[in-house]
Amino acid sequence: MKLGKGWIPAHLLVWGYAVLLIVPLYYFLASAFKSNEEIFAHPFAPPTSLGFDNFVTAFTSAQLGLAVVNSLLVTGLALVLTLALAVPAAFALARSTSRLASAMEKVFSLGFLIPTFAALFPTFLLAAVTGLFHSRTFMVVFLPATAMPLSVVILVQFMRTIPREMEEAARMDGASTFAVLRHIYTPMCLPGIATVLLLNFLTFWNEYLYSLVIIGPDPAQRTVQVALPTLKAITGTDYGVLTAGTVLTLVPVWVVYTVLQRRMQQALVSGAVKM
Amino acid sequence: MRSPLTRRGFLAAGSGLAATALPALSGCSSLAASDSDPDTLVVHSQLGTTAPGSATYLRALKRFRAENPGLKVKNLVNGDDLAQVYETARLARKEPDVVMVNLYDKTLAWTDVGATLDVKGHLDDWGLRERVLPQALSAWTDGKGRLRAFPYFATNWPVAYNRALLEKAGVHGIPRTGDELIRAARRLRAHGIAPVTTGGNDWTGQKLLAQIIQTFLTEDEARHAYTTGDFGSRGAREGIAYFVELRDSGVFTDKPQGLTSDSMMTQFHTGKAAIESAMSSALAEVPERVARHTDVGGWPLADGAVHDKPTILRSYTLIGFWISPNGAKKADAVERFIRFMYRPDTVSRFITESGRDMAVRSDSLSTGFPLVAAAQRLGSDVSEVLLPDVFVPPAANQPLITATSTSFTRGTSAARVRAALESAYRSV
Repeated sequence: MKLGKGWIPAHLLVWGYAVLLIVPLYYFLASAFKSNEEIFAHPFAPPTSLGFDNFVTAFTSAQLGLAVVNSLLVTGLALVLTLALAVPAAFALARSTSRLASAMEKVFSLGFLIPTFAALFPTFLLAAVTGLFHSRTFMVVFLPATAMPLSVVILVQFMRTIPREMEEAARMDGASTFAVLRHIYTPMCLPGIATVLLLNFLTFWNEYLYSLVIIGPDPAQRTVQVALPTLKAITGTDYGVLTAGTVLTLVPVWVVYTVLQRRMQQALVSGAVKM
Repeated sequence: MRSPLTRRGFLAAGSGLAATALPALSGCSSLAASDSDPDTLVVHSQLGTTAPGSATYLRALKRFRAENPGLKVKNLVNGDDLAQVYETARLARKEPDVVMVNLYDKTLAWTDVGATLDVKGHLDDWGLRERVLPQALSAWTDGKGRLRAFPYFATNWPVAYNRALLEKAGVHGIPRTGDELIRAARRLRAHGIAPVTTGGNDWTGQKLLAQIIQTFLTEDEARHAYTTGDFGSRGAREGIAYFVELRDSGVFTDKPQGLTSDSMMTQFHTGKAAIESAMSSALAEVPERVARHTDVGGWPLADGAVHDKPTILRSYTLIGFWISPNGAKKADAVERFIRFMYRPDTVSRFITESGRDMAVRSDSLSTGFPLVAAAQRLGSDVSEVLLPDVFVPPAANQPLITATSTSFTRGTSAARVRAALESAYRSV
């Protein structure tokens, strides 16, 4: 197919957008191999050496290994809990035609209206009263609570697209309600579940304020987002080390995104077609 | 229809997960916090990663653990957010036993509200009073005579002059007056060198602005101005006018209102700028190739100044050991820790290995850090002005940084600088 001149602006826009994304990424990665002087004096110059000193310093001084394990533990368990609660809730809301279900769906949507910061103090009090302050358990329970509105709203929309005839056929074969959820709705909603997983993974992994206050600074318990800022000192920050530490903490995000991105794109496209 | 995962199986898997994972996340595992363990001393510090002095501190902790085998020490590290984390932990009654942080902003209120304890009695009971510099004791004592914490780190805050760059621009000798500084700045600019670099958008610019304003303020007047936010006195107005004159004469680097301490240090370290006002921890990080051509001194004076020598800042409130109510329950462990940190060999290591200035007596000099040592020797060659940190109400600190950025913007009149400074206190 021959492309006419009309394609030139589109190409320019696409390449311009790609550059907009690549330049900061390059700056970020290049800085991880530089000293402060090199970063500030020649920000876009390639690094003069590809030594891993900055990475080793970041990893050891901020104990990032343990912090990554903690983050994986908190994020992983919170995701499991989120799905364990959101999938059945969405299933029930999607299938029901009652007014109560409609009202419940709106209640879930109301969760979007609560600003994150406004909930900090009550959440802190709750953690203190329950004896879960300075523990990761509270975050494992709390993070799914914050994720329920988005998760339920997304999954309900997905589940509503599944024809009722599928469930009726399964019922005729003797399927229980749980079996319908397990064998009909869940497989057909996998793109939606992947979307929920990916969005919540990013939110949980990057969560800072609550992790800082609730879990605290104990190296044995703190998450990676709490460990990373300890590389920043008010009396002089080594930005090479800080950037290297940030790169290390982004590796799990990159892995998860790579694994789930196709499912998510599929979900977005299928959503568009259905609209 | 037979499901491979039955309802019973699903519930069993969920229960199993809860039974195994949740204890690991809270109390009964090796990954659990031990802040309530009576045999564990919990120290909350800004040292431990890349902050100046961290390596020496971690080695000190290692020696302390070796000398006290029955006592576990847990070191919690936070950066700028330490005070917030400590306060929330205190509200939950799970605060660490000892906190190592400076006297600034939120921490100013800690003794008053009972978040930390008066340590005056301990200082005498443990026989440590003679170890502390009298100026440090005075700085850490509040208006009610309570000693807020055991003083530890201090800092000299002189002005560093890159002699090689000054000479390259034809400036021979360190400027001692405002006029000499303006002439030097013009010559430096003619050679493509920025004169004075500073973080006009953070605490470094704030301190330099305070230092320049105090050119015309006595100690009492400075204390009054920074406590109340009243910059209307004749001395304060003259100080602001002096600052504006220097700024509009091109003394500061271009667009300092957007710079931070990191960009300031980088400009000085890379020879882009010839002069910086730097505390000792920053001086310790000046690369050797620059340090060997650098002299330290004071900020040049203007005609009519109340000081007879160029000024520097000096502070004794950089880091102290604060004792929490939880720490009071482990008084024996806390005493052992403080005594160890006050021991001459421990103090000496911070000076020689990390180039830190101490609020504790020591004969050691930071010989491996020539600029820090030179600053320690300045003595009577310079005049001291107040570091305003202890006097500025916590609510005014952040607005003062904003006012600093406004002040460093070229074209801002002296009246507007004064208005910006005074408005920073409106929320107090």
